Amino acid sequence: MKQFYIDLKKYFSYAKYSAKSDLKAEVASSYLNWLWWVLDPLLFMMVYTFIAVIVFRSKVQYFPVFVFVGLTMWSFFNKTVIGSVKIIRNNSAIVSKVYIPKFILILQKMMVNGFKMMVSFALVLVMMVIYRVPVTWNILYMIPVLIELALMTFGVCCFMLHFGVFVDDLYNVMNVVLRLMFYMSGIFYSISDRLSDPYRTILLELNPVSMLIESGRLCMLYSSTPHRKMLILWGLVAVTLCVAGIKTIYKYENSYVKVM
Amino acid sequence: MGQKIAIDVKDLRISYRCLKSFSIKRSLLHFKKAKAEVHEAVRGVSFSVPEGEILGIVGKNGSGKSTMLRAIAGIFSPDEGTIDLHGKSVSLLSIGVGFQKKLSGRENILLSGMLLGFSEEQVRAKMDEIIEFAGLGKFIDMPVKTYSSGMHSKLAFAITAILESDIMLIDEVLSVGDAKFKKKSYNKMKELISKEDRTVLIVSHSSQTLRKLCTSILWLHDGEVKMQGDTEEVLAAYEEFMS
Repeated sequence: MKQFYIDLKKYFSYAKYSAKSDLKAEVASSYLNWLWWVLDPLLFMMVYTFIAVIVFRSKVQYFPVFVFVGLTMWSFFNKTVIGSVKIIRNNSAIVSKVYIPKFILILQKMMVNGFKMMVSFALVLVMMVIYRVPVTWNILYMIPVLIELALMTFGVCCFMLHFGVFVDDLYNVMNVVLRLMFYMSGIFYSISDRLSDPYRTILLELNPVSMLIESGRLCMLYSSTPHRKMLILWGLVAVTLCVAGIKTIYKYENSYVKVM
Repeated sequence: MGQKIAIDVKDLRISYRCLKSFSIKRSLLHFKKAKAEVHEAVRGVSFSVPEGEILGIVGKNGSGKSTMLRAIAGIFSPDEGTIDLHGKSVSLLSIGVGFQKKLSGRENILLSGMLLGFSEEQVRAKMDEIIEFAGLGKFIDMPVKTYSSGMHSKLAFAITAILESDIMLIDEVLSVGDAKFKKKSYNKMKELISKEDRTVLIVSHSSQTLRKLCTSILWLHDGEVKMQGDTEEVLAAYEEFMS
């Protein structure tokens, strides 16, 4: 773990600069590209709103904002996790030529996707004004919720990175798993309204992503407190996952190059 | 000679195990467990390099030269044996690490330099020198994807050549760019190498280059040390062996 802090300090600025240049490169190829950071969540929000409101007649309050919050947090998790499965292979040019602590690659990806998430959250704020959502101090709970989302994502990604090197078709498997998780995380429906026990408890408490999304919505849109107990419990799990993941990567990172 | 030792390699062994990665599909279709094939690339190499020495490494293809260099650079760990660098910084002179093709050369210098473990300020301080050495003119502010392959390697070479480290590992990169740049990079190489406290390891197939640059030669054959010693002596034996 000591090594982790040393490396983090040494390579953090690289991760930051590299993330920045990734984002810049996306804009450089076409000036309208940054528009997609906004359009992407906006359009998907419309798709799900159409399905949920018109087809399934959902009656959730502030539904478009509700979807938007879920979608924003989900796509950060989803994109980072699916990206880290192939992260070593995609960065083979770097990995095979110079030593870099491999978790830095995850960190870099998280920064890129995190920035897009922030753009998306800015949009959420705009929509909250449009829909006249009352805001209370409870919105500050968003900070621990997002930190926990980041920790959880990082922990999961460490293992994805590790197994992604050794298991060729993990990408296909994760695609299915993540899709299943997407439907079980209540992005475009409210788990607590739509489902009854035991499914409600299972989906809300055993799926960290849905717990985090639900918590995020509670404190942003419905002026109430998040599931604090679950937040703490899953927070501990997330930290454990991060520590275990970092240790695994450190133990095996030097053999990654050999497998490729 | 009583000099300080810069690199100590003891009984280094590196093997590539089960190069085939695992696939769920494959393991569902074939229950038999694929036998892990072990290929030993480096088997029990020991040598030490005094500070300031320029060591050339020769050997036929697949004799473990690059593998060893990469192990010394810390890209992967040895299976057995130890590599002691006595706390010196090391860099593998490699072409175009971590270039982001859509960005300008200037930004890529920073990116690449930071990847090599230098801080942003260190790279910025050397920026002008790198740009001048690369000699790309106005192309330095154009996206790297517009570069010709020669320009690409010129920039990459300039980055690693100017950002100095105590130990330099060079893997067949002395033939970069056009004749003019080649001469320039050769001279730069010589200048870099001739600094007293710098230790250099060069892998090359060109006896001519090695003769001009190196102070001693290590000959690897099938992952083992065949000969180590004076440049002329080893190269002569090597040339006779290869012909």
